[in-house]
Amino acid sequence: MTSPASSGQALVPPGRPGHPAYRAGILTLCAIGVGTLASLAAIGLTEAVFWLNDILLIAPRARVQLDAQGYLVPVATVLVPVLGGLVVGLVLRHLSPVHRPLGPPDVIEAVQFERPLPPLRAGIASTLAAMVSLGAGASVGQYGPMVYLGAMLGGLVRRLRLGVPNLPAISVACGVAAAIATAFNAPIAGLVFAHEVVLRHYSTQSFAPTTVAAATGYVMANVVFERPALFLVRFDGVEHGHEFALFAALGILAAGLAILFMRLILLVSARAAQSRLPALLRPAAAGLALGLAALWLPDVLGIGKETLRFATIPGAFAPGELAVLVIAKLALTALCIGFGFAGGVFSPALLIGILFGALFWTAIDATALVATSGVAVYAICGMMALTSPVIGAPLTTILIVFELTRNYDITIAAMVAVVFSNLVAHRFFGRSLFDVQLARRGTDLSKGRDRARLSALPVSRFCAESPITGETGQDLEDVRARLDRSAWSEAFVTDPQGRFAGVLDRQAAGTTWDEALRAPARRFDETTSVLQAMQALRGFVGDAVPVIDSRNGVLIGVVSEAAVIEAYLDVSAALRREENAVL
Amino acid sequence: MRFSDAITRCAGLLAVLLVAVPAAVAQEPEALTVVTWGGAYEAAQKSAVFVPFTKATGIPVEVKRYSGAIGSLRKRAEAESWDVIDMLEADAITGCEDGLLRKLRHDEILGGLDRAVRRDFAPTRLRPCSLPQNVFATVMAYDDRAYPGLKPTRIEDFFDVEEFPGKRAIHRSPDVILEWALMAEGVPAAQVYDLLSTDRGLRLALRRLEALRGHIVWWEDAGAPARLLEKGEVAMASGYNGRFFAAAQDRGAPVSVIWDGRLIGTDVWAVPVTTDRPEAARAFLEFATRPEVMAGLAARIPYGPARKSAMEWIGLHPESGVPMRDHLPNAPQHGARMLVRDSVWYSHTEAIRERRFEAWLEKGGG
Repeated sequence: MTSPASSGQALVPPGRPGHPAYRAGILTLCAIGVGTLASLAAIGLTEAVFWLNDILLIAPRARVQLDAQGYLVPVATVLVPVLGGLVVGLVLRHLSPVHRPLGPPDVIEAVQFERPLPPLRAGIASTLAAMVSLGAGASVGQYGPMVYLGAMLGGLVRRLRLGVPNLPAISVACGVAAAIATAFNAPIAGLVFAHEVVLRHYSTQSFAPTTVAAATGYVMANVVFERPALFLVRFDGVEHGHEFALFAALGILAAGLAILFMRLILLVSARAAQSRLPALLRPAAAGLALGLAALWLPDVLGIGKETLRFATIPGAFAPGELAVLVIAKLALTALCIGFGFAGGVFSPALLIGILFGALFWTAIDATALVATSGVAVYAICGMMALTSPVIGAPLTTILIVFELTRNYDITIAAMVAVVFSNLVAHRFFGRSLFDVQLARRGTDLSKGRDRARLSALPVSRFCAESPITGETGQDLEDVRARLDRSAWSEAFVTDPQGRFAGVLDRQAAGTTWDEALRAPARRFDETTSVLQAMQALRGFVGDAVPVIDSRNGVLIGVVSEAAVIEAYLDVSAALRREENAVL
Repeated sequence: MRFSDAITRCAGLLAVLLVAVPAAVAQEPEALTVVTWGGAYEAAQKSAVFVPFTKATGIPVEVKRYSGAIGSLRKRAEAESWDVIDMLEADAITGCEDGLLRKLRHDEILGGLDRAVRRDFAPTRLRPCSLPQNVFATVMAYDDRAYPGLKPTRIEDFFDVEEFPGKRAIHRSPDVILEWALMAEGVPAAQVYDLLSTDRGLRLALRRLEALRGHIVWWEDAGAPARLLEKGEVAMASGYNGRFFAAAQDRGAPVSVIWDGRLIGTDVWAVPVTTDRPEAARAFLEFATRPEVMAGLAARIPYGPARKSAMEWIGLHPESGVPMRDHLPNAPQHGARMLVRDSVWYSHTEAIRERRFEAWLEKGGG
């Protein structure tokens, strides 16, 4: 993992952008090209997972056809996730240079800090691992890997160096939009997801190509491959006004469950990293737990699209069953993800949420105090209310409901649940699981893009080119003479080993180094960011501040106050240019 | 007709003659035993397929009847020297896997097997032991006299005895009714088989069927549902679309078909391993799967031909003059909600569905 501080590309000079027609042409081609590739890749991944689920006896439709073969199905239920886990462990260990699955947080980080994505090989290995994980029925989601796959294909554009400003970020967003548009058959949601989660701003320059890419994904999914809408629900509208209060309440409760879900994932991941179980075997261990649980609760296996449907049918589950399934799916998903299966959190969140929504309705219905419009709308409100805080994208979630169900009334109801859930979870947890994961890696996006970029930018990169320096081994008067001839009012002095010794002022009295030197008013080190520097410079009088290596005391360089302010202005200007770019 | 088609057909005829003529010359030819389902369907087959076949080849056809069960294939095929069987595709898959049916040489029967031929048959498939012949729909129909006011229009109405009172005639089998039960729960057609593959899905379907307990008249013979409706013994029935059509057209019965939620199935020709006349059976298959012969059947009873190229041959009903294309199961005006039977799944899940269904029956009869 590269820490933000080691990045070398945070301040790409805008350079000389090409002619607007050239830029428009490149952006269009890029949107269509990346959109097509990402869309095909998403369809390919979906089909591969279906096929694996079928031959590995994860899909109920395959299982029931071999029901008469004695122990075959139960044995496969346990063995397939274990062996799948082993393969995932091997793939990540031997094929991936970063040794871990990649997902939306990596995409967000790359785009927000204008860095390249992790190496292509790591992306391919991660996708392969996700395919095996999903194919073997691990309780993980398919959309995270799809988002990464789309982003990875979009990321290839960066290598072409086409000279269009912001192009790398835009092409990654195009890949993400097309992948989501294809996977959910939801182009509007794909477009919004790319902006809400990945780009985090709405400039015309990025909006247009992302929309084209999402539309390309939609065309591939609908016109070329004729894939059906994923989750059609028949619902004739909310019958009672008071139900909107229930949707809001459901949203708030779902937020609590979402926070529990996300905390559990983080906790298990942290514990797994400390455990003595080698990383290679961790997915297999999670697979074993999953397989054993699935003998009793087959609904926990895989993506569970049958279970999603059942949750919208009243009475398909007994209330106790719903509660058990919510807990089991929550725990097993945290286990699978924490123990290194490759996959996302979106699909499991959908499943947990829909079961929770159905449970909520069952409880309301059992009290017989208020009239309701049936289980379907509550199930879907629960599904979206739980998912939205996990991915940190309320608008996307609302649009996904709309495009998945093609039902306006359900969308309005889900909207209410989603905003309340998002509000509560954002307040008590964070914007999304992705953002919190990034923050734990040292990249905090919670206070805005500008702050994140400023705090990712080390001040040591802005050292003055020729400050007056001296060394205690040299003659004091020589250094004084050099200082007098320069425009500087201070010289920065080290000992013969290069360790910082002190500041020598023009007016400093004294005839020995010890008498002449004073301690600096401010000092930075190699980790000091531009943001911290700006805050430290409040009330500072002087030319410059020494940057001193915190590990050995060596003077790295000297940063002038002006350089810090310039860096600050440059970052702000770059963001402003990006966010207001038209073409 | 394209030139290559003409060549193919001539070659086919020649082959038939080579087989049939010497036999005809030598002695009074032994009849080919073709097994089918009886009633209006058999009558239509007789005039569209069997008689023209005999005319073209000189091979007489002896018709035997069965009710479609795979059990009768095991029990009767050898004893009654069955040669060609009209089967549901799922049963043909089971029969093939159990070694009861001969593997067919589709390329010989169809005069070559290129992509164009396969596409002509699509979406039905040329499986190892079977040759698709027609596409039928299992639909609900109701007695017009039973509902003079509000009429049933949807699958849901079949399960609603409060709004639409009256007995229901249902095939005594887990086929179709379980699919309908889930569709009535709001499950989209595309997910019905996925859900029926789970224990929970079967339970939900049977729960829905529970609403009809005490209102069901079970039928086994495919001609029964139309008769029961006609006699006023039931108010609604499940059955094959062709039978209902025949009742309404030929006998003027007050029977209306509801196309919503129709289940599209494929009917195939198959040859049992016990046949003693494989060559004649092959000649029959060659004849029966010609587009114009398929179209002739579709003109008499509204089962869609399995080959697209047959569609253009379908005209008016030879007796009543009704334009037949509107009555085919795949006519577009019948609405979007329909389900294509997954024959492989059907064949492989028969035991478990049967078990659950019988257990449900035992719980308290129809």
